[in-house]
Order: sequence, then C-alpha cells, then structure tokens
Amino acid sequence: MARIELSGIRKEWGEVVAVEDMDLVIEDGEFVAVLGPSGCGKSTTLFMLAGIYAPSAGVMRFDGSLVNEVESRDRNVGIVFQSYALYPHMSVRENIAFPLRFKKVPDAEARRRVEAIARLVQVHDLLDRRPGEMSGGQQQRVALARALVKEPQLLLLDEPLSNLDATLRLTMRTEIKRLQRQLEVTTILVTHDQVEATTMADRIVCMSKGRIEQVAAPAELYARPASLFVASFVGAPPINVLAGRAEGAEVVVNGLRLGRVGEGGAAGEVVLGIRPEHIRFDAHGLAGRIDQIEPMGRETLYLVETPMGGVRVLEGGAGVRFALGDSVRIGFRPEDSLLFDRESGALVPGARVAPPAG
Amino acid sequence: MAGRPPLPAAAPVRGSGDGGARGQYDWDRLAARARRRRALSHAALTGFLVLASVPILLPYFWVLTISFSAKTGGIESVVLWRACGVLIPAVIAFALGRILLPRRRQRWILAGFVTGAAVIAISVAIGPYLHFENYRFFWVADIVRDLPGRGQATHYAQFPSVWIAFRNSLLLAVTQTALVVVVATLAGYYISRFAFAGRASFLQALLVLHAFPAMTLIIPIFLLMHWIGMLDTITGVILVICTLELPFAIFIMKGFFDAVPWDIEMSAMTDGASRRQAFVKVVLPQVKVGMLAIGVFAFIRGWEEYVFVRTLLFEKANWMMSLYLWWVADDIMGVDYGIVAAVAVFYIVPSLLLYLFCQRFLVQMSLGGIKG
Ligand SMILES: Nc1ncnc2c1ncn2[C@@H]1O[C@H](COP(=O)(O)OP(=O)(O)O)[C@@H](O)[C@H]1O
Ligand SMILES: [Mg+2]
Repeated sequence: MARIELSGIRKEWGEVVAVEDMDLVIEDGEFVAVLGPSGCGKSTTLFMLAGIYAPSAGVMRFDGSLVNEVESRDRNVGIVFQSYALYPHMSVRENIAFPLRFKKVPDAEARRRVEAIARLVQVHDLLDRRPGEMSGGQQQRVALARALVKEPQLLLLDEPLSNLDATLRLTMRTEIKRLQRQLEVTTILVTHDQVEATTMADRIVCMSKGRIEQVAAPAELYARPASLFVASFVGAPPINVLAGRAEGAEVVVNGLRLGRVGEGGAAGEVVLGIRPEHIRFDAHGLAGRIDQIEPMGRETLYLVETPMGGVRVLEGGAGVRFALGDSVRIGFRPEDSLLFDRESGALVPGARVAPPAG
Repeated sequence: MAGRPPLPAAAPVRGSGDGGARGQYDWDRLAARARRRRALSHAALTGFLVLASVPILLPYFWVLTISFSAKTGGIESVVLWRACGVLIPAVIAFALGRILLPRRRQRWILAGFVTGAAVIAISVAIGPYLHFENYRFFWVADIVRDLPGRGQATHYAQFPSVWIAFRNSLLLAVTQTALVVVVATLAGYYISRFAFAGRASFLQALLVLHAFPAMTLIIPIFLLMHWIGMLDTITGVILVICTLELPFAIFIMKGFFDAVPWDIEMSAMTDGASRRQAFVKVVLPQVKVGMLAIGVFAFIRGWEEYVFVRTLLFEKANWMMSLYLWWVADDIMGVDYGIVAAVAVFYIVPSLLLYLFCQRFLVQMSLGGIKG
C-alpha cells in the first residue's frame, strides 16, 4: 500500500504528446478512477506508474521515494491489462503463481497463497484450466488474482470491464470494489465509462487530450464540473449545451434573453449547460414542442424544440406523459445552470442564469 | 442445420393448400439431403486423395521393393508388377472402406483385415525373391571393392563407410538446425519488437534474398570459401547453408513473434521477470510451433543438401549421404540398382521419422490452443 505522487509527469512519442504536465496525489488505500475518452493518455499514465514506460519528464514518488528509475519488476505493482494478458501456455494455477516465482516464495506458501486468492476471486474451481478454456469473466478474475497474489502496493486496472457483457460488468464492478475495500490496496482504475468511474471510485481524475481536466469525488464531478469537457463527459444522457453570449446582466441564447443571477463575471462568448434531469415541465416556463420521445423504463427522455434550441428533458417516474408534437413548457432552477467560457471551456464559478419566462 | 434458416430455394413448400400455418419446411427431407451431400463430397475427396497418392507412393514403394529384391544389380520387373498387384488393390480396399463403412470400428476391422491379407499376398507373391544382400553396405566398409569383378581394379578404398557419410550428414543437419533456430528466433524477436532505422528495407531484403536461386552464388561462394580457407570443411558448408536458410527462417519467426501480444511480456515484467526471463518463460512458449517448423525445414534442408556439398567438399572423409548415394549410382562400370535403392531407403528413413514425429507434435500443439 502506498501513497502515489506524480508531479509534472509528461510522456511523448516523437511529435505525439500522450500525457502532459500531470500533477496528482493518490492517498494510501484510495480507489481512484482515471476517466477520459479513448486516446487521452489513460493507459500511458498507468504504464508509467507500472514502470513499463519511462516518463519523458517529471517526478514519480511512491510513499515519498523517487521511483522514476526503478524497474518495473521491482515496483511491486499489480496490473490487469485490458486484454487480461494471461499466459496462454500456463494453467490458471501457474498463471496466478507466476509472480511468486520471482519473489522466492517457498512452494508450500505459494500454493497456499494461490488457493487463497483464487478463492477470493472465485476461480478456485478452475485452477487446472488453460486461459483459452475460460469465459471472458473468468479470465478477468484470473488476471485480477494474478495481480493481487503478490500483495502489490499499487493495483492498476486498465479498462478491466470493457470486454465483459453488461450483466457481468455489473457483478464485477461490485466485486472489484468489495475486494479493494477488503484488501485496502491503493487502486487506480482506468476507464472510458463514466458509470464505472462514478460507481466504483472514491475520486475521479477526468482527463482529456493528455491533460487532467478535474480531480474530484464523483458527486462533485457531476454537480460542479470544472470545464465544459467534464460536464459533457460525465452524466447520461449528456448535458444540454447551448451556445450564447453574455451581455451585461443577460445571456443571449439563440436570440432569447436569459437573466443572470449571482456574481459570476463572464463576458463574451459563453456556453450554457443544463442537465436533462434538471429540466422539468413547468406551466410558467418556456414554450416548446415535443420532437422526439425515448422511453427508458423508469424514466423518459424527451427532445423538446424551444426558441433556445433543442433541449433534452429527462423525466422520471411519470411514464410517457406526452405525445410527439405536443406543446409543452419547460423550466429549470437557476442553481442547476452552469455557465462556461466558450474560449477556454472553463466553468465560470458562481454564474447562473434564470430560466426564461414563457 | 437446425440453427440456420434454410435458403428459400431449399425449402420445398408442402401442401400449399393447407394454409401454410404449419409444416412449411420438410425438415426430414432437408436433413436427408444434407447427409447425402456430405457423404458424396466425402467419397469424392477420399477418391481424389487415393488417386493422387498412388503415383506419389508408387516410386517409394518400388524403391523399397527393389532394395530388398534386386539381385546382382539387376531389377526383376516381375517382382515389381507382383508387388503392385498386391499394393493397388489394398489401397483401393482401404479407400472403399473409408467411404462405405459408417462406423469407425468397422473401418479398423477392415483395415486390419486388408493389411493382413496384403502381408500374406506379398510374402506369397515375392517372398522367395526377398533378401538383405543389398544392405550389406551397413557392414562392408568399401562397397565398391566388394562388388564382384571390380574391387580388384583398385588397391585403395574407393568408398568410405556409409556410417561416415551418415555421421557427416547428421552433423551438418543437426548443427545447422540448431544455428538456424537460435539465430532466427533471436533475430525474429528483435525485428518484431524493436523499431530501428532501416527495419522495413531489412524485411524486404530478407524476402528478396530468399528469391534468388542459391545456384547463382556457387562460384562466388566457392571463391570465398577458398580465400578464408574453409574449402573442404564441413564447418564451411554448415555456414553457407545456414546463411542461405536464415533469411526465410527469420521472416517466419518474425511473423510468429508479431502474433504474441506485447501485453503478455509487459505483464511478465511487472510480475517480476527480467526482460530475458519474460522472453524465455512467456514469449518463447508462444512461438514453439514456429521454432519447430523452421527446425524441421532446416534439418531436411541440411539432410538433403547436395549442390554445396558436391561443390565444396572433396575428401572422402567429408562425404555426406547425398554424395554417397550419388557415387553409388554413378559407379563407373555399371550401376548396381539394388544397392542404389537400399542406400536411398536408408537415406529417406531419418527424414521420414522426423516428419512423422513432428507432425504428431504440431497437431498436438494446435489442438492445445495458442489463441490468447
Ligand atoms: N507506444 C506508443 N507509441 C506511440 N504513440 C503511442 C504509444 N502508446 C500510445 N500512444 C499514443 O498516445 C496517446 C494516448 O494513448 P493511450 O494512453 O493508450 O490512450 P487511452 O488508454 O486513454 O485510450 C494516443 O494518441 C496514442 O496514439
Ligand atoms: Mg487504453
């Protein structure tokens, strides 16, 4: 178990900058998710922590000690690759025992630890099989067991659930979380799936194009996204994004004037963001017309055409109340609105807009 | 068949007047037709294989028959025809059994019966002609000297013992196999894993090199060997054949290494292995089949090598099996076909054994599953 510190970490391949000036501290025993779209440098970050890639610049510390130069095999890091990377010519037992072979663990002790960890991840019935003879979920458990058997000070998971079907993903999500809490191992999970990140992690590192956009607890990431990128990436269905201009005490969206509330001092080009679940049907709100209906079971997603532009409205618990083409009125609470600077994408803290009256 | 909807054309509509609510497809008839088709294509394939294998097998069979039956250098054609008269019906019986008998047990019984009948027929038909005299080169050191009416012509041994040739050939084949497998494996790994300047052109060069007929190089190689003092040494021949064999072997191995994911190696290194340990314990086992394949090729190439052996070696002590066979067949005062055939059989056996052994191994490997 270790406290991880990254400062000024950078990785480039020729022209391509995969990770840029990354500063991050991960506390001992913490479960952190690195969230971002494909190609944003998540795996690269993970591989640098594992010692597979050497950072082009920056400092990496485990428990305060510099590890930049420490070889991968000496870092005692457990890693589960996206492909699981099981050794196809070895049985499950040999796969799990592989890391112990290099630690000079006595045979009896190794056997005991392999069986214990196999029981923990529930593959103890499969110990004599080959990886090729197992389902994706079973392979994943074996990979997890192999990463955990060496009692790593840091557990790295690279999109561990992306190759599983939906039901299994749910089970494994719970299970990985339970294991992490039980073993109290510092864990970094890499994922492009926001649900995975928000449900499993204590804290989320949201990345885009090699840079950290925001580091925050899941709830905060959702409620107070630091940038338009984070706001768009986190939350499903995605947040409504409406381009506009801040003019004095008003924000003009598509010709519609919205009053400003609060002290945030944005000027010029802005983007208004409101989550679909924060928009409600309101008899005194802005007039619109139902353009599309997507029943999602417990909730219904409506696409409403308004003078501001098309707006997604997510309504829970009421069934499908409207039909295509129905006239409706919508509104939202000012404190649910988010205003971003269009140029930088940064949140304008404290800036709110009031919903337009009908 | 059950899981797949049949093509519309293959769906005979039964009783269109019934309203079509039920029994639109006659499943039994479709299944029977599929069975018939399978049986037919199975028969056609077996028949083709039998027809194609007879002309391939026949020469080997004849060589074998001649080696055990030829007397005083001549071939008795009656023996060959009688042998054929037994072999061909036996092969056809095997084939018919495979086509017509549905049960594996029945086929085994038939196979045993046919083999027994063939053995009896052979011993009746040509038994009296069979003898081991043609194989006397195993224990007679100088075979030419021993030939009636010729040995007296020379006072020194004209032929070395066949075992010297056998040892030389084995040395050549085994050494060059080991060299090719080791060098091609390491080089293939390096080319597959490391980007270095000129990698693409290097790969192209490997293929182009293989495309040139080795014959075109004979004179330069001869001169080269002469200058570096390796003419008439087995080491020299080994090096030459290795060099010619390597480009293709490297290319093959590179392909095998390309198929091994990086992840596995990285995983091994985070598991505590050094780069070399990861290579040996995790990567090499994934390319075993490739190593075996290039090993078999290299061995056979070395075993059958004739051109460079003929050009670069002169001393009798350096003869290889191919040279031995050639000299036996090329003897000045008429050829003893019995001995030629016997030497040929002896020459074939190691390749055949190797092939049979490795074929079983290769099949096992692919059944064992390489996919990750
Ligand atoms: N070995 C490599 N050589 C060159 N470029 C690489 C290499 N690995 C990753 N990259 C590049 O770095 C960027 C980040 O990759 P990666 O960390 O794998 O993204 P993610 O895991 O977030 O999908 C991508 O643009 C990718 O093309
Ligand atoms: Mg990745």
